[in-house]
Amino acid sequence: MKKSLLIATLVVFACSSMFLLSSCAKREVVVEEEEITAVPGPEVEITVEEEAPMEVEEEVEREELAEIEPLEEVELAKVEEAEPGERALRAARFEGESIYFDFDKSFIKPEYRSILEEKGQFLKDYPDVRVRIEGNCDERGTNEYNLALGERRSTSAKGFLTSLGVSADRIEMISYGEERPLFLGHNEEAWGQNRRDDFVIIKE
Amino acid sequence: MRTIFRMRLWVLVLLIGIIFEATDVEARLYIDITAPSMRKIPVAIPDFKDLGKRSEHPELSSRLSEIMSNDLDLSGYFKPLDKDSFIESPDSGITRDSINFRDWSVIRAELLVKGGYECIGQQFKVEVRLFDVFSGRKLYGRRALGSLGESRYLIHRLGNEIIHTLSGHLGPFLTGMAFVGTSTGHKEIYTSDYDGHNLEQVTSYKTITLSPRWSPSGDKMIYTSFRNSGTVLFMHDMIRGSVTKISDRKGLNIAAAWRPNGEELALTLTISGNPDIYLIDITGRILKRLTKHWGIDVSPSFSPDGEKMAFVSNRSGSPQVYVLDLTNNQVERLTFEGVYNTSPAWSRLDRIAFASSSDYRFDIYTISPDGKDLRRVTQDRGHNESPCWSPDGRYIAFSSNRDGDNYHIFIANANGQNQRRVTFSDGDQLSPSWAEHPK
Repeated sequence: MKKSLLIATLVVFACSSMFLLSSCAKREVVVEEEEITAVPGPEVEITVEEEAPMEVEEEVEREELAEIEPLEEVELAKVEEAEPGERALRAARFEGESIYFDFDKSFIKPEYRSILEEKGQFLKDYPDVRVRIEGNCDERGTNEYNLALGERRSTSAKGFLTSLGVSADRIEMISYGEERPLFLGHNEEAWGQNRRDDFVIIKE
Repeated sequence: MRTIFRMRLWVLVLLIGIIFEATDVEARLYIDITAPSMRKIPVAIPDFKDLGKRSEHPELSSRLSEIMSNDLDLSGYFKPLDKDSFIESPDSGITRDSINFRDWSVIRAELLVKGGYECIGQQFKVEVRLFDVFSGRKLYGRRALGSLGESRYLIHRLGNEIIHTLSGHLGPFLTGMAFVGTSTGHKEIYTSDYDGHNLEQVTSYKTITLSPRWSPSGDKMIYTSFRNSGTVLFMHDMIRGSVTKISDRKGLNIAAAWRPNGEELALTLTISGNPDIYLIDITGRILKRLTKHWGIDVSPSFSPDGEKMAFVSNRSGSPQVYVLDLTNNQVERLTFEGVYNTSPAWSRLDRIAFASSSDYRFDIYTISPDGKDLRRVTQDRGHNESPCWSPDGRYIAFSSNRDGDNYHIFIANANGQNQRRVTFSDGDQLSPSWAEHPK
């Protein structure tokens, strides 16, 4: 009985982490696709790829939206206390939980401290892990200001983690400003979801 | 300034050729550009007459008059009259002797633009005359020659001269626009004529590309584009099509602005750990750190003499526009009304436009650099953001979603009159930049 429960738990872990990892992997792939040939010296022609990017973008949006779904499964998994796969589980939790901000603010709200503390503990327990914090904003305000605001949001989280003793060189930051909304609506519900830091493991 | 315009006109005269018949413009001022608001002059622009013997390209007859009519409409100085109201007989000519001006005064036209054209193969000849309907005098007349493909360009050019004849300054009809467009599903940079025609996609990076800014001479453009590492500032040579990486420092490399000398840029970097504005040369070397503050400092825009810089900072708690004097490093806050003021753009005529919000609905305002004379440009029509000035400072462009969900580029006179949409592509068109001599 216990054994089957354990197996079931493992399956849930495996599925949820697979899902998260695969959706992350897809996101990585998309970023790769977006990369163009680097332009080292001056006056190098940039190659123009003729593709129909419309479908790609739509897929990306759908996938990004889909990322919100597995949260429930992660919650379920949290209850279990199994040792095997603990790292995968904690990695999934690290990536699955974002923290959210007030409009035009970049300070860490008290309710997200415990989440960040958990992330900090994860990073301390697995010193080989490197991560990226992605700062995001809602659509209001200018792209330029929001890029800076998103940078400040990722800086805030990084500062919190380093104050817990995580080495700063393990944490990369990027700001997407208002360019990558998770919710596409034009209301407070959507905005609130878009004012966030996402956490991505870039090397395990 | 005046001399430059005169010289340029003289060049135009040489280039375009013959002034036929002496014009008799008197000192009457048709367009007073200093007036705070203007009455639009009713102008009639009938279809151009096909002067060719073989009637090649009859479609140009209405197309050329439409280009001229659109130009004069966008200038904000005129009210082009509806062609359906015209009562003139089709046999009338395009010269003074063959026009019955009563046909035009009856429909309340005050000015009349008469045009004729001739196509011989690929060769295109056009002549345009401007008449004062009341007195029957000719105010302007010019013949221009080019290829068929240049017909649009030539009409813009003659339109510019009509504006000059009536106001003393050239029209904006040969200027160009750059903006961010999303019609491919990615944010890419596009260029077009000032009126949205001749749309071209400049970048195909399939990532997020933002903040295009023409160089003062119009031969280069800078923009910020996302790479895996984050934002990178690029310079695009618009003549050769080559692209150079200017700044890819760790963190942000965003929102660059040209200093009017065309040799230096200001941009926001986070190398100090905080978004601050730096002065760099066009190879990307840092010359000077311009702001040093715990807050966010972004979106620089230089004064015409390059000695001052407007920028956005949240040092007071919310984003506001500030002005830095580069000669003594003094910073003064410029905007006090509204909780969220961004995107300053400093015009050649020394006005600063910016986007302001108090209830998250953004509108465009302009203000004098000393903080006086605040004027509202847009009101009650969607969100209005990212203002930029025409090179001569007489027009303002911005993006607005007043026509529905998507943002498009609109232009208006500096005082906000005559707001007209100029881009009609799918998706959004955002963040315009306006060039005097786009290459």
